[in-house]
Amino acid sequence: MSRGAGVTTPCAIPGTPLADARAGLDACVHCGSCLQACPTYLVLEDENDSPRGRLDLMRALVDGILPTSDPDVRSHIDRCLGCRACEPACPSGVPYGHLLEATRATLTAERPNPFIVRLILFAFARPALLHAAMFGGRVTRALRLSRLLARLPGRIGFAMAMLESTRSPLPHRTYQPRSDGSRGAVAVLQGCVMEGLFAETNRATSRTLAANDFSIVEAPGQRCCGALHAHAGDIDTARTLARANIIAFERSGAEVIAVNAAGCGAIMKEYGVLLADDAAWRDRATVFAARVRDITELLASAGPRLGAPVPVTVTYDAPCHLLHAQHIASPPLRVLAAVPGLVLMPLAESEHCCGSAGIYNPVEPETSERVLEPKLRHIAATGAALVATGNPGCLMQIGAGLHQARMSARAIHPVDLLDASYAAERS
Amino acid sequence: MTPGVSADVAALADRVRSAHANGAPLRVTGAGTWLDGGQPCVAADHLELAALTGIVAYEPGDLTLTVLAATPLSAIQALTASEGQWLTMDPHGSPDGTIGATVSTASSGPLASAYGTPRDHVLGCEFVTGTGDVVRGGGRVVKNVAGFDLVRLVTGAWGTLGAITEITVRLRAKPEQDVSLAVATLSGAVADVTNGVREWSHRSAFRPLAMELLSPSLARRLTGHSEELLLVRIGGNSTHARAAVDAVSSLGTARDIGHGVWSQLAQAEPKGALVFRVSALPSRIGSLFSTASALAEELGGYAHATVTRGIVRCVVPPPSEPQAVDYLCGQLSALSRDVTVAGERMSAPLWAAVRRMRSTDALSLRVRSTFDPGRILNPGILGDA
Amino acid sequence: MVELAARLAGIVGERRVMLRAGELRTYESDGLPGYRSTPSLAVFPGTRDETIAVVKALAASHTSFVARGAGTGLSGGALADNVVLLGLHRLKRIVAIDGDNARAVVEPGVVNALLTAAASAYGLHYAPDPSSQSACTIGGNVAENAGGPHCLKYGVTLNHVIALTVLLPDGEVVTLGNPDGESEGYDLLGAFVGSEGCFGVVLDATIRLERNPQAVRTLLADFASVDGAAHAVSDIIAAGIVAAAMEMMDNAAIQVVEASIYAAGYPVDAAAILLIELDGAAAGLDDDVARVAQFCKAAGARAVRVAADPADRARLWQGRKKAFGAMGRVSPHLVVQDAVVPRTRLPQVLADIHHIGVRHGVNVCNVFHAGDGNLHPNIGYDANDADEAARVHAAMGEIMQVCIDAGGTITGEHGVGLDKLPYMDSLFTPDTLGAMCALRSVFDPERRANPGKVVPVHRCREWLAAPAARAGHPR
Ligand SMILES: Cc1cc2nc3c(=O)[nH]c(=O)nc-3n(C[C@H](O)[C@H](O)[C@H](O)COP(=O)(O)OP(=O)(O)OC[C@H]3O[C@@H](n4cnc5c(N)ncnc54)[C@H](O)[C@@H]3O)c2cc1C
Ligand code: SF4
Ligand code: SF4
Repeated sequence: MSRGAGVTTPCAIPGTPLADARAGLDACVHCGSCLQACPTYLVLEDENDSPRGRLDLMRALVDGILPTSDPDVRSHIDRCLGCRACEPACPSGVPYGHLLEATRATLTAERPNPFIVRLILFAFARPALLHAAMFGGRVTRALRLSRLLARLPGRIGFAMAMLESTRSPLPHRTYQPRSDGSRGAVAVLQGCVMEGLFAETNRATSRTLAANDFSIVEAPGQRCCGALHAHAGDIDTARTLARANIIAFERSGAEVIAVNAAGCGAIMKEYGVLLADDAAWRDRATVFAARVRDITELLASAGPRLGAPVPVTVTYDAPCHLLHAQHIASPPLRVLAAVPGLVLMPLAESEHCCGSAGIYNPVEPETSERVLEPKLRHIAATGAALVATGNPGCLMQIGAGLHQARMSARAIHPVDLLDASYAAERS
Repeated sequence: MTPGVSADVAALADRVRSAHANGAPLRVTGAGTWLDGGQPCVAADHLELAALTGIVAYEPGDLTLTVLAATPLSAIQALTASEGQWLTMDPHGSPDGTIGATVSTASSGPLASAYGTPRDHVLGCEFVTGTGDVVRGGGRVVKNVAGFDLVRLVTGAWGTLGAITEITVRLRAKPEQDVSLAVATLSGAVADVTNGVREWSHRSAFRPLAMELLSPSLARRLTGHSEELLLVRIGGNSTHARAAVDAVSSLGTARDIGHGVWSQLAQAEPKGALVFRVSALPSRIGSLFSTASALAEELGGYAHATVTRGIVRCVVPPPSEPQAVDYLCGQLSALSRDVTVAGERMSAPLWAAVRRMRSTDALSLRVRSTFDPGRILNPGILGDA
Repeated sequence: MVELAARLAGIVGERRVMLRAGELRTYESDGLPGYRSTPSLAVFPGTRDETIAVVKALAASHTSFVARGAGTGLSGGALADNVVLLGLHRLKRIVAIDGDNARAVVEPGVVNALLTAAASAYGLHYAPDPSSQSACTIGGNVAENAGGPHCLKYGVTLNHVIALTVLLPDGEVVTLGNPDGESEGYDLLGAFVGSEGCFGVVLDATIRLERNPQAVRTLLADFASVDGAAHAVSDIIAAGIVAAAMEMMDNAAIQVVEASIYAAGYPVDAAAILLIELDGAAAGLDDDVARVAQFCKAAGARAVRVAADPADRARLWQGRKKAFGAMGRVSPHLVVQDAVVPRTRLPQVLADIHHIGVRHGVNVCNVFHAGDGNLHPNIGYDANDADEAARVHAAMGEIMQVCIDAGGTITGEHGVGLDKLPYMDSLFTPDTLGAMCALRSVFDPERRANPGKVVPVHRCREWLAAPAARAGHPR
């Protein structure tokens, strides 16, 4: 037994991102309040797969108790969803999300990410490749190959079910809203997956904003937000992408930047932190970050205006990067409340992660599916026809789960429902 | 002499030590009002604790009281009443019984529905083990988890693990209003009446201090009423008490009967009567009370149920005819197959008929031989002779 | 050890036996800051049968072990120093809830707050509510005889356990208490509750649930002096008003909470606040509220307010319940104390604690169960500063002595574990400590369950080498 183990020993990994973030580790008092908030702890039942356990491993790296090459450290850090459900549960204010990114960055420097992770990150950082991949996805979907292949077992089957689930459950809409532009100029982040597979939702985003008197401006030159890179520890690429986005959106002249993908919004609101060490960019990034809004925040700030009835039962699942990272809880509900005739069913444990977590699903398929299980059970219990959630990863994860479980419910972005309500006014 | 141990207790410890050395059993006695309780005890010598009376410490603001073990309950009630407080232990029997005996036998009465049994009252105690060691468990504060719980161990051990010499208990402030009601015309089958009372207690927002359902002959003896009768005791501020009385009235005609009824109940049993309790899961109280009270009444006795705790206490005159003894034995052994039967005062054949008090399992035997290796304290009282 | 690990893996599966440093790290500590012990291995059974098989295997090889629930204990009870750590958090089934009899049967790994959540469907709740209730397990609660704010009216864990199924360290399964009626014979259940994992492993617990009160009122009273708040507590108790909870926080604690995400709107310039809850039948409750408010005002409260709605009430309680965790934010290291004093001594003891803090130049925060006299003086500090650390430890020693001298005790709910061992000798006589060792030996003759905790080892040695009088003990 050792007493006074809390005493800080000299840092074993000086100069690493984790060493820089070390003060955050000191805030952890090992009280365990975060355990029950953590989806991986609940399904894997090992404290190493809990926030407290992972923080212990991080500290062990800093203190030199465990080497960065330790395979246990690696696998438990890898298994973290990065959902940050542990942050609101922590009375001590441990900045878990930052510590996780710093740890992943430190570990990646030591040993590269697995091939599949590198492949995905590589593609997302290159517009041409990404467009090609998304085009391939759309063709597969259009030919209904995804529906066929979704019957396959394992990873491929699930991936195809994800693709299949991106088909919109609502009819195609084409109305032209009138806007007096009185609420200011907004630029919309197109997003890689959103524009690639949920283009309809991007159009709905612009239309609903216009219908609430925002004016939409284009922001050419925008790129991937860099969230996937930052979460996986590839901080350098994340910073490059952040700079490109700051330039593009500054140039657009927009007062605010609307984001309809919670994961993208979360990182863009943190660009100031991401570029904090870059003296030339720090202030610009901070100003930029303060102008980023989730689409539901913007709509809720405008009311939003009520549309025509859309009689449907819906349940709402909170994306982690909206609820835990951006602390946005009620705006999505206000958007849904603007749809007359929509019946909202409460969803048990809606604050728990669905297991999507960026690229977690393809990387840790087994844990991802175990985390998804209870989510599907709770959705079934609501009897809702649609599950509203504002993040592409969650839409696909839940959508694929529903598809594979042969449940009739479909996943949908809340904005699509409001859009359908506005479209119905004209028919 | 061990520091902190009084001369009286040191002398007791010496006696126990020498009794242990000589293998001479001791009957531990307090005021001697209830020496026929428990199973037959074989000991030629008495270990008299009667001299251990008196208040050691009473700080009304702390609501705790430390007394020597043979202090009579009546003396404690008189003292605390002067401060508007009371000790919420109301065992059946004489008010001159001692607190040491009450704790040793874990005896409780109607107030246990609200305040629990002695186990929930005792904060600390001093006792002399069967080897003459003087042990002080617990303390004088209301919350305490320092060390293993020796206090709980000797509470209800009937003196077989040690003779208790000093006790600290938790007191309560007396409620502003304290109303005792008798509720009559609870018409219907006994089981339904009983279940009705239980359901009321579930539904109701009120938590009476006591709720005791009396069989007809007990009701007659205490109040002249000759059907089942419910006694209810209500405490609280005046608005609360008024509303609670109204709520209780939904059960039947309620009348204020005065607190005297509780001491009458405590002392109702005729000298030498056989007393046993039957208990089960509280939801079974309806059938339990109807069976047990029918049996007790049939034998010329009575029964009363602490409805919310699922306990029925039966008092019957000792049968004289051998057939009557056999009959009661048969009934008790049948009962004890299905529910828990605990004897307070019974005759040898009856003790044999019920499941023995639980003290013969391996752990209990080990506890006994650890604290009283010579088995000199109250041998036999727990059916261990 | 490798051989034992293989045998255990045969029972619980490869994944649930841990040996490597990287896997054991998080299991080296519990909620007690500043201590670490490395288990020889850790094993995590998933079912009752697996647990029994594991303990039998440990018994067969005479291996010592430490049970662990959620590892939130604050006395180091779940630390395993080179012995086997037996984790029970996977046994998390609520076996049954019997609404009619207001009771539940649960496995030891069920989290306290989840039991209440499940019971709420029946209009019931589990009353003992340690501040760690969102994480700690019923097994750990039983082992520590845990308390919480609402134990003032409803009683501690002990008062809510009807029966236990216990796995003795030798592998035998016994039932303590009687689930179907009155309990007879020795109160082994009472002895087991609070035995800190030294008597055996809880396999399941039959728990008494409490009916939800018809009405609840939560008051926040703001005092300009700690002394005034302490007197208000005594006055309310003496008046016979049975509050469900009476909690006090001093200015240092208020500041910490108000700076955290759990800011509850406590007055930051108050010397102390009292959080008082009254519950029960609606009739007459507001009369009691008025009287409590009067007592507070008479004792010098600047303001007393009643929570406006359930959300307000929840916010007031969150601040109190998360206070300890929030202290982690302001200083890198923390000592959490737990002591009880007679309630009339609160004003004096709090003043003494304040002076001790000043004398040693350390910042003592008090956040505690005032209605029970159960103090939690906490000191945040920086362990890297050797001088400060020494001052903190000196101050804590003096604070404990003040509590003992006031007729109090060294722990009201966190247990002795390792942390409080040094104080046991000043609280109990050698004979008493010997009797405790003897009681432990009844349950665990080989003393393999949680070795070295609760009673100082030297006292057990003395007891075992005791006079011939006790030579006849079966050991
Ligand atoms: C922020 C915070 C606030 C707290 N507030 C309170 C409070 O208000 N009141 C209070 O009383 N405590 C409080 N505690 C202390 C702690 O939460 C309790 O002691 C709790 O009961 C421990 O439960 P656990 O499951 O974490 O047990 P652990 O810490 O894992 O273990 C505690 C002890 O129990 C034993 N044990 C665990 N499971 C079993 C089992 N199944 N069978 C036998 N023994 C077992 C262990 O061996 C150990 O000795 C607090 C702790 C924290 C961190
Ligand atoms: S981010 Fe999510 S998965 Fe990771 S430790 Fe926190 S709660 Fe658990
Ligand atoms: S809740 Fe916060 S302080 Fe507590 S263990 Fe988790 S991370 Fe650490």
